[in-house]
Amino acid sequence: MAMSMGAARRGKPKIRPPKRPTSETPIKDTWSKLAHAIREIQNHNASKLSYEEHYRYGYNMVLHKHGDQLYNGVKALISEHLDRLAEEKIVPTFPRSGGTRGAGKLGGGAEAIERALEGDRFLKAIKSAWEDHTGSMRKIRDILKYMDKGYSTANGLPLIYDVGLTLFLSHIIRSSKHPIHTHLISTLLSQVQLERDGETITRSTVRECTDILLRLNVPEREGGKTVYVTDFEPEFLRRSAEFYGLEAVEELDKNDAAQYLRRVERRLAEEADRTVHYLSTTTHPALQELLIANLLTPHLQSVLDMPGSGLVTMLDSDRLPDLRRLYTLYLKVPKDEGKTALRTALRADIEERGKAVNEGTIERNDAGPSTATIGQDDEDDPKGKGKAKSSSTSASPISNAINSALRWVQDVLDLKDKFDGILETAFMGDKQVQVSINEAFQSFINANPRAPEYLSLFIDENLKKGTKARSDIEIESALEKTIVLFRFLSDKDKFERYYKNHLARRLLYARSASDDSEKQMVTKLKMEMGFQFTQKLEGMFTDMRLSNESANSFRNYQNRHGTISIDLSVNVLTASYWPQPIVATSTCTFPSALQPAMETFQKYYDSRHSGRRLTWQGNLGTADVRVRFKNRSHDLNLSTHALVVLLLFEDSKAGDSLSYSEIKSSTDLPDADLIRTLQSLACAKFRVLSKIPKGRDVNPSDKFEFNESFTSPLARIKIMQVASKVESVKEREETQEMVDEERKHQVEACIVRIMKDRKTMSHNDLISEVAHQLSSRFSPSMSLIKKRIEGLIDREYLERTNDMGSYRYLA
Amino acid sequence: MSQEEEDFVLLESSDGYTFVVSKKIAIASGTLKTMLDEEAAFEEAKNKTCKIQQRGVILLKVIEYLAYKVQYAEFNAEDIKEDFSDRIDPYIALELLTAADFLEA
Repeated sequence: MAMSMGAARRGKPKIRPPKRPTSETPIKDTWSKLAHAIREIQNHNASKLSYEEHYRYGYNMVLHKHGDQLYNGVKALISEHLDRLAEEKIVPTFPRSGGTRGAGKLGGGAEAIERALEGDRFLKAIKSAWEDHTGSMRKIRDILKYMDKGYSTANGLPLIYDVGLTLFLSHIIRSSKHPIHTHLISTLLSQVQLERDGETITRSTVRECTDILLRLNVPEREGGKTVYVTDFEPEFLRRSAEFYGLEAVEELDKNDAAQYLRRVERRLAEEADRTVHYLSTTTHPALQELLIANLLTPHLQSVLDMPGSGLVTMLDSDRLPDLRRLYTLYLKVPKDEGKTALRTALRADIEERGKAVNEGTIERNDAGPSTATIGQDDEDDPKGKGKAKSSSTSASPISNAINSALRWVQDVLDLKDKFDGILETAFMGDKQVQVSINEAFQSFINANPRAPEYLSLFIDENLKKGTKARSDIEIESALEKTIVLFRFLSDKDKFERYYKNHLARRLLYARSASDDSEKQMVTKLKMEMGFQFTQKLEGMFTDMRLSNESANSFRNYQNRHGTISIDLSVNVLTASYWPQPIVATSTCTFPSALQPAMETFQKYYDSRHSGRRLTWQGNLGTADVRVRFKNRSHDLNLSTHALVVLLLFEDSKAGDSLSYSEIKSSTDLPDADLIRTLQSLACAKFRVLSKIPKGRDVNPSDKFEFNESFTSPLARIKIMQVASKVESVKEREETQEMVDEERKHQVEACIVRIMKDRKTMSHNDLISEVAHQLSSRFSPSMSLIKKRIEGLIDREYLERTNDMGSYRYLA
Repeated sequence: MSQEEEDFVLLESSDGYTFVVSKKIAIASGTLKTMLDEEAAFEEAKNKTCKIQQRGVILLKVIEYLAYKVQYAEFNAEDIKEDFSDRIDPYIALELLTAADFLEA
């Protein structure tokens, strides 16, 4: 445009054509000059060459349509040069060891070092050939720049530099004349192997050679990937797999589990390091996978089970770093196999430990003199409850039983603490592992049929006054832990029953250490189980509170209606809140000395509440009474029953005695209660009655007299009512019966609740719904639910519908 | 950078004219750039002298263009006010074209 405009303006259209450059030089000469130049470049004499001149030659050849001659000529020159390089530089450095070598260890010591050096020399030769070649190729590319532009690209041929790379591959790496390829791959592999065996190799050389392989691409028809990927990697992985497969077996044999895992960890790190430093990072995932597949996956179980060092031992000795290593390594195993194996093993181990704890308690029970046959004696044993802890001198069966209960809970708690700690530090709080741990605890805790009782006893021990001097914080944390165990219980209703019993005792005998702790515990239970669960427990607290409040108003009442001879304080209990055995009506004829006071209270109570019936429970109260013995007077604190018995002797003279049957007829106490009361008076630590004949057991033929010569350094004496804390076998059966009875009602209530809502329901749906709804309290058996359904059909709450296995609710 | 700016090379025409040119401007031509590449180390790079098989008048215009190219290298097309084609004498246009092709200018 500009030119033509310029021409038009000046009106001088004649433009001299430029002379065709250098058409005077014949093509043949041009080529021979160029070829010479290329050889000079290959011999590192580029600085003697004029770039302009040779560029011009190339330029002219392309311009004069001799591109193909130039292109192919250069190719031939490069090939020739490469062959010479191979011949002169590489072949002499071939390592002696040859190309074919198994994955086995390459001899150690001097030979290995020798081999490492040889390999290094060879790899260095390859590398220097590569550098030589690429160096000259760069210059050739520069000179023939115009050919690339004007010929190669135009004809769809690869640029000359890339041709150089391809030629390097075919003439050096995959040379058909020399076994360079085999040597190269095997040398690389053996260098890696040498390093794996602990020898030192020159990493940089290996790195440079793998770089070459990464830089070169195989021809399109072979996939066009890098030589590294096609020629080296598969072989490398195969060798590695072979090596690690063998190593795993060998090392497992030689090492214990912890050492083995450490080794695996180190190998993983080493190989990761290797891929970063002198292989390709693309190999990393495959290599790690391979390591895990060879070192871990096939041996998951054998590492866990390894005797004397496996999981059990690690747990035994709290080897947290080892456990942590185990966990992190197992986590790497694909498809969660490692974790599953770990979880299964962990679960089995905890269950094993739990079983030991369970058996420990049973053994300790059996070790004591008390078994089922002496069960009755347990109750009558004069040792009081509060002394269970301190009575080491004459360990009675009861205290044994209590101790074993406490020990069981403590053992379980310790176990739980241990595994919580391990979970936190070694297993990174893994939720799935936690589930396994919890399942294991649940399973072994519920395998102990006495777990609910033991747990309640443990709480009792912690809430009771005067057991151990403990800080509130300690108690708080102990309770917190028991709640955790409570969650594992499946028979929560059973626990409730025991807890109610223990709580009742604590409240009535004023043994609670602190109201706050009691209430906290109830709150905790409420949070776990909901309002219903603790309703009755709270009712018990309310009763106690109201009774305390009414004590004052009763005093006022006495002021107005005449006082009574004794100081009476009454706890009014709502029968439905308190546990059955406590409020069960027991007969007792109260002596005349007590009658007026009782009547006064009865009047007082009737005046305030109408339509309520009071029943006097002598077995629950205590009395303070001053008794004059020969030497001095003592203040005795004893149970109401004991007082009733003691009052019979009020007027007796020395030598007067009462027989068992006389006592029974005047007090009307049931045998069990009477025997216990007499034992606490005549056979325990403080013997205010003498038994004839002497002995520990009370028989119907025995006689009793007042022990006037009783002495004691204490002014105030507390005579403990003997009461069993751990249930005897018989009691336990009773409890079970009661629990079963209550469950029947609960199941029925549940069925009715569901059916009222749904009207009709299939058998299976109903059963699963019932089981589901009750699961928080206990796990009802199929047969129990079935029986209850039958029962409800009999009583016409339900009827069978026409289609099989369905029920309809009858309003 | 400053050293490179101060670096000069000698361009020699076929009819004996020599031009002292800032290297920065010279290497705006692809051919001259490779020619002067110190790593490849050809004769020209060593002597910092390039013999160009063009007449001095052509080489002068080429250098003028290279300077123009460097000056506006970082400009947007619409910001360039002067048109280099205005400076080209039609008599040398064809010869200049050949030179440009050769020198990758």
